[in-house]
Amino acid sequence: MDLLEFAKGPALQVAAYILVAGSIWRLIGILLLKEKPDYSEPRQSAGLLAALKVIYTRSFTAAPFKAATLYPKMLAYVMHIGLFATVFLFVPHIMFFEGFLGIEWPGLPNNIIYLLGVAAVVASFALLVRRLTSPVLKLISNFDDYFSWFVTVLPLITGLMIPVRMGLRYETILAIHILSVALLMIWLPFGKLGHTFLVFVTRGTTGMVFERRGAKT
Amino acid sequence: MTTEQESLAPPSPFHGNVRPILNEVMHAIDRLLETDEPTTIDLAGLPFGPGELEHLEAALGTGELSAKLDALGTSRIRETAYPGVWWLEHRNAFDEVVGRYLEITRTPEILSSQDADIIAGRARLEDQFE
Amino acid sequence: MKRTPTVGEVLRAKGVSRRGFLKYCATTASILALPPSMIPRIAEAIENARRPSVIWLSFQECTGCTESLTRSASPTVEGLIFDTISLDYHHTLQAAAGDQAEAARHAAMVENDGGYLVLVDGSIPTGNPGFSTIAGISNVDMLKETVAGAAAVVAIGSCAAFGGIPGANPNPTGAVSVMDLVTDKPVINVPGCPPIPTVMTAVLAHFLTFGAIPDLDKHGRPMTFFGTTIHDRCYRRPFYEQGKFANTFDDEGAKAGWCLYKLGCKGPTTYNACATAKWNSGTSFPIEAGHPCLGCSEPNFWDAGGFYEPLSTGNFDSGEKLAGAAVAGVALGAVAAAAGRRRQAKFTKEG
Repeated sequence: MDLLEFAKGPALQVAAYILVAGSIWRLIGILLLKEKPDYSEPRQSAGLLAALKVIYTRSFTAAPFKAATLYPKMLAYVMHIGLFATVFLFVPHIMFFEGFLGIEWPGLPNNIIYLLGVAAVVASFALLVRRLTSPVLKLISNFDDYFSWFVTVLPLITGLMIPVRMGLRYETILAIHILSVALLMIWLPFGKLGHTFLVFVTRGTTGMVFERRGAKT
Repeated sequence: MTTEQESLAPPSPFHGNVRPILNEVMHAIDRLLETDEPTTIDLAGLPFGPGELEHLEAALGTGELSAKLDALGTSRIRETAYPGVWWLEHRNAFDEVVGRYLEITRTPEILSSQDADIIAGRARLEDQFE
Repeated sequence: MKRTPTVGEVLRAKGVSRRGFLKYCATTASILALPPSMIPRIAEAIENARRPSVIWLSFQECTGCTESLTRSASPTVEGLIFDTISLDYHHTLQAAAGDQAEAARHAAMVENDGGYLVLVDGSIPTGNPGFSTIAGISNVDMLKETVAGAAAVVAIGSCAAFGGIPGANPNPTGAVSVMDLVTDKPVINVPGCPPIPTVMTAVLAHFLTFGAIPDLDKHGRPMTFFGTTIHDRCYRRPFYEQGKFANTFDDEGAKAGWCLYKLGCKGPTTYNACATAKWNSGTSFPIEAGHPCLGCSEPNFWDAGGFYEPLSTGNFDSGEKLAGAAVAGVALGAVAAAAGRRRQAKFTKEG
């Protein structure tokens, strides 16, 4: 078995098991927790709509913080949009998803994907520089932050290396890319990257609690 | 033309493989003018879609001079519309193309009489006097 | 050992002029995929090269490789090379049979000891020796006996190079490749199902011209032909970059000649010269005919996933195991939640 067969086969498979089991483990573990008793009188009934509203509104910065957070917010948007496009709108990736989902969707031309990918990498590095230079951010950052950054940026870089090649053979660099994705999949449920799915739980919960208390959301 | 023929016709000869070659030819002309260095481009090693080779040939056009060589099959040596740019096509005894080259030079080497052949020819001429 | 004439002498005896010889060298450089600037060196080397003796052994094969070589539509260039080699044994092509054929093989081996080339097509069964025999000799024995005095071995086709279809799962005959058995001689692999005719002759021409084996990649393939992928030399590559793909074999994209990646093209991971050398006397190659590359010159191409599965498809063996992982996740989550609830209860009691 060569490296590419290993990457496409066992490595990706084990990573998929861990991603699925780990994500469900964390979700169920949180969703089945007992709700804290709230003895106060509810101001309004807090339904699913309130949760959805905050999931949406928290995508934008509240007015008082806009000026202060413009730079990191902008970078985070570039990074997240770039990441989304490279993962879900690159045609070979769509073929990968189609392989087990059975459905496909339209993709973007490769050159646009390369551009977005490079933008995401640049934004990621800018965010890392910010984390390392801001005293406050540096203080509150731990291994999880840096490792999560690393496993997210690694597949982006290895993926962008495929068209550039850099003296490596296509199948070798492709195998390295897939292995780096496997690493991301394995780490995703456990560290701060869990926000990929937990972001909806946390925002939703916040929305419902605030609604119940009549706070502005 | 029937619709069937239309659908079978190559959709477009332009896959973008001709322009880079023309660009390389232009740089080769510069080299020839500046340093007298000739260039040979082996067209067999380059990717061509359906119709693109013909497109390249048409783009280069036909110049003033063309020659036919009979050695191990026919070869055509022809100057293109751009002086100094020669189109060489070697065919075998079965009239199949075995090599295509662009030579950017003043005279392709294969047009010159070769010493070995001149010597052999002189010997044949000498035999006439016996 | 009799003195063999040089290639220059052979050509001059045929009345070939110096101009014709230069033309021959130019086309040789072209099939060797060498830069035209090498032509003078090639001319000098070919002028003085001597005819090597070649013994061709056919084992578990379909004769497709021999068909490819002999039916190649430009016989004169190849023909010239074959005029300049001495093909002393090829049991499909030779007129001699039985004892006479074997005698010819032995004579060539004795006469050219240490200097002849062995070309092999087909894989070699290591199970029952009776699976494949020639003149009552098992393939393994014939290979070992013949290779002993050879200068080098050329494995022609994917069967000889990597085991090919006989060696594909479940490999009933225990078929192996030439390089699995020959470890003390240089082995040049010329894979493909079949290989490109000019690539086969080019390897011989290279040996003839330079008296040495060409540079090889990690799979033992000559770098000049197996150094770049089909994808890198494909005329449809611009469509890949533009995101224009054929989705089925008869849609508008297929008719417009767009990229065949989605239809399972293995071009990006296949190292071969089809995209430029082309087939059938330079007519086209599979992608130009509208079919994705199968990757036939790569090791184990037969077992490397479906021909029509896109290259980026993962090799997941079953959805059930993934469902099993989901169930395991639910169980782990429930345990974690129970532990969390106990902690919560303790906390609220204390608080």
